[in-house]
Amino acid sequence: METIFYMVYILVFIIGSIAGLLLSYKKHMEPFIISEIDILYLVLAIIGWFLFINFALVQFIPAFIAIPIGLFLIGLVIGARPGYGRKETVIGALISIIVWLVLHFGLI
Amino acid sequence: MYLMADILINVILAFLAGSLLLGFHRKVMARIQLRPGPPIIQYLLHSLKFFFKESSFPKTASMPFYIGIVVILAGIWVTAVIVGPVTKGSLMIIFGIYAIHKIVEHNSGSSSGSPYGKVSCVRAVFSAAGELPLFACIAIIYFVTGSMNIADIIAYQSVHGPLIYTAPLACVMFFTLILTKSPYSPFAITKGKDIISGFETEHYGFLRGFIMLSESVAWYILLWLFLTIFFGPIGIIGYVVGMIIITAITAFINATTPMLNPNHSVMAQFTITLVCLVGSIIILLIL
Repeated sequence: METIFYMVYILVFIIGSIAGLLLSYKKHMEPFIISEIDILYLVLAIIGWFLFINFALVQFIPAFIAIPIGLFLIGLVIGARPGYGRKETVIGALISIIVWLVLHFGLI
Repeated sequence: MYLMADILINVILAFLAGSLLLGFHRKVMARIQLRPGPPIIQYLLHSLKFFFKESSFPKTASMPFYIGIVVILAGIWVTAVIVGPVTKGSLMIIFGIYAIHKIVEHNSGSSSGSPYGKVSCVRAVFSAAGELPLFACIAIIYFVTGSMNIADIIAYQSVHGPLIYTAPLACVMFFTLILTKSPYSPFAITKGKDIISGFETEHYGFLRGFIMLSESVAWYILLWLFLTIFFGPIGIIGYVVGMIIITAITAFINATTPMLNPNHSVMAQFTITLVCLVGSIIILLIL
């Protein structure tokens, strides 16, 4: 039964990545890479990574829904055109991991 | 009925996860070489793309072999999924599957009639040395655990701890096998760029799609086996993290190491196997 969930998670991530790639190419038609942080991507990355890693904190959404939403958003940012979405992904992942570590080891 | 569904889901999972890991492998290699690299899903998109491309067949091809061998390649790695994640069966069957994979490389190269394929075909015979680490590794695991059954090996590790502590050199041998199978590996003499794409050179369209599908499943299965055999009963997070780390390590090695020529490749694999086998036996005798 668990494998079905894992398959759905991977499929959602792939769909997110494909959507991210298409949207990113529509948004950035320029031939060069802009190195500034995109605020929209940053917000999506933070929400995505937070839902994926800290789904237990979001109690009003069941885990089997929160994780796919998180993975879709992660895929949307990580799957962007090469060169885009990297910094946003790292920042989103770091924030979520720090929150998880702080809560897991009871530092607050 | 439930078993069939389990097999189908695991095969799809292996294909998707393997494709993403191979995409990640390519991305890491690109970043090491200071290129942005393609998106992680690129390998998956390529695999799917080939199923919708026009298929053409060389006039020089030996048709029954040319098509049949690709079906066999997909078949053996689906069998590996059944023996591995689904039923947790015998490692000897996995060894048999890997041996057949070498025969497939050989026949795939020779059946197309391409000179590049033929060179790859000859190299596939040389590269049977890649089976030596696997066979030696399985032998050491049998001596330690008393079984070749994956389920028994997992049960052994849940009591005695991960096998990587008991048989670290067997772990090195299995890693050598994984490295051999990874794209752009220093040991990947059958697909060296000096012979274009080796045994895959003349396979187009849906045939190439099946080859790429099989390679994705093969990569997932090899990583799954490595983590299961040497790191004991680990959860899904352990598998995901482990597979990503091993893929990154192989990408780093492949990006920084030139491809060896056939005789160096075979001798390197043989030497690693010999040293690790003798070392493992000494460790077992001491312990």
